[in-house]
Amino acid sequence: MKLLGTATLALNRIWATKIRSLLTMLGVVIGVAAIVALTSIVDGASQGINKSLATLGTNQLNITAMAADSLTEQDAQELAALENVSVMFVQAQNQGTIATGDKRVNARLVGVSAKYFEAVKPEIALGSYLSSSSFAATAKDVVFGADAANDLGLTKAMLGQTVKLNGQDFRLVGVLDDQAGFGTSGRVYVPIDSARKLFSQYPYVSSIVIQANTAEQVDTLQLQADVLLRERYGLGAETTARYTITNQASLIAAVGSITATLGLLLTGIAAISLIVGGIGIMNIMLVSVRERTREIGVRRAIGAKQSNILTQFLIEAIVLSLAGGVVGLILGEIAAFFLAVIGDWVFSIRLDTVGLALGFSLLVGVVFGVWPARTAAKLEPIDALRFE
Amino acid sequence: MADEVVRLDKVRRDYLVGDQVTTALGGIDLVIERGEFVAIVGPSGSGKSTMMNLIGCLDRPTAGSVKIAGDSTNELNDNQLTSLRSKAIGFVFQQFQLLPNTTAIENVMAPLLYQGKNTKEAKRDATQMLTQLGLGDRLNFDRNRLSGGQQQRVAIARALVTSPDIVLADEPTGALDSKTGAAVIELLKDLHRDGRTVVLITHDLEIAASAPRRVFLRDGLIERDERGAK
Ligand SMILES: Nc1ncnc2c1ncn2[C@@H]1O[C@H](COP(=O)(O)OP(=O)(O)O)[C@@H](O)[C@H]1O
Ligand SMILES: [Mg+2]
Repeated sequence: MKLLGTATLALNRIWATKIRSLLTMLGVVIGVAAIVALTSIVDGASQGINKSLATLGTNQLNITAMAADSLTEQDAQELAALENVSVMFVQAQNQGTIATGDKRVNARLVGVSAKYFEAVKPEIALGSYLSSSSFAATAKDVVFGADAANDLGLTKAMLGQTVKLNGQDFRLVGVLDDQAGFGTSGRVYVPIDSARKLFSQYPYVSSIVIQANTAEQVDTLQLQADVLLRERYGLGAETTARYTITNQASLIAAVGSITATLGLLLTGIAAISLIVGGIGIMNIMLVSVRERTREIGVRRAIGAKQSNILTQFLIEAIVLSLAGGVVGLILGEIAAFFLAVIGDWVFSIRLDTVGLALGFSLLVGVVFGVWPARTAAKLEPIDALRFE
Repeated sequence: MADEVVRLDKVRRDYLVGDQVTTALGGIDLVIERGEFVAIVGPSGSGKSTMMNLIGCLDRPTAGSVKIAGDSTNELNDNQLTSLRSKAIGFVFQQFQLLPNTTAIENVMAPLLYQGKNTKEAKRDATQMLTQLGLGDRLNFDRNRLSGGQQQRVAIARALVTSPDIVLADEPTGALDSKTGAAVIELLKDLHRDGRTVVLITHDLEIAASAPRRVFLRDGLIERDERGAK
């Protein structure tokens, strides 16, 4: 019999026992849907983390002071003078309070130098960044992060109005749209000179950020910065008590490897459920072979070869598994879409996920279909015909 | 020289169940010539079905030789045996044994498709055969919508469609009322009249009497081989 004819037999049988076929493929449906949805969660999560890391700039080195008096503006100036540094800015930050009229909440007050906004380029929701006039000695301007703005319930009408930081009056010039960001919650930004008056002692800074001209220069720059600071403070090998230097690119790589591991783990769990689904198919196929022993006997008697019987049952198992894979893929992508809406990341149908889902379900069909199909093919016609 | 379609020489068939050996056939010599209508008759357990399986190329003897349409089944592997069966034998079973979830025409097409014919040819031949047997208006009925007699005629059409050397019918009237059963026997007689070789297996002496040759089996041996009308 031609392959097409055999395939028709398998499809007819699946169609004739619709409910049972659906239940049989359920395990694979769930397994594949889980793989697809979990893959998209891991994707989305790493997308979010990478986005917030990338907004900080991949050519960037963060030098963080480990104590309030570890690093100074002079350190920053010297670091800025290193070869290949394109931008430098400093931050001085501390816990404080922010308030309007009747409402007062805690926030992180961040003093930044003039280059901060130009280098980081955060999304702006209302108003503007701190401008050059904000950095004038007498100006007392503030830009709110999205969370801080939410905490106080700020509206567009508040732009240009007065808010209190640690009890002192500041003028609200802008609100950032940095909600999806990572570790930026509850922040407000003021010029570093204003920060000095609020909480920070001159000349100390809490962090210095330098940016290399190109990504290739980052590693060398990190080494040079480390040597420079070590010499300035006469430090030995042990520098972590005073400062740490982090490299955004290596952070992104680390996050990448964590999410890859996580993805592998979740896919592994989902793969186990797929295997369980395959065992379900094998189980039903074995029952089916037993129930259809007579039919197999009759088919052998009217001229079916062992290979015809083998193919018929194998195709049946593969179609069940593959159909389960397709249904699971559709359900998984629907779930992924809603997860993306909820988690606020970009939904996309990844071809490798589609290939993986279909490839796996095909494989499951073949692997778990072979035994029942062989059992059917190896039945002796005379025993099959006598079977009650 | 006469054309032998079946030749059994000292055929023995033992079944081994556990360590118990049952001898279903204990040394059978039988020749059936092309165009004969032979009834194999005997009580239950006498070895009729075993003989049908051997003639039908579903099974091989424990000892002795079985030649069907000139080929010795002892020397054939499973695939070759299937090819021989597909070419030489048409089965009619007691319980009709139409395939499940399958229409009349699909049942009759199946042996042709297993022979490697394409769907179009198979459909044409099957339609012709069913129409010849008076089922031209039932082509797309499945077995639930056919009476017992109609089902058996579909089964006969399925057995005949490949133009086999031998039509093997095992208790073909066993599941039918006597009137429908008689019609089926008439149909087998017609086939014989058209020159086909028919082997009818039955425990019913009255039905056996309709065949011009009757081979009586008892305890796995041929008791009597009668010819001529009774
Ligand atoms: N597949 C088998 N395995 C074991 N014993 C069998 C098998 N087929 C038939 N027999 C035994 O062989 C004997 C003849 O059986 P069978 O050929 O079916 O007789 P009949 O068809 O005349 O009733 C019986 O004793 C039966 O139990
Ligand atoms: Mg019998």
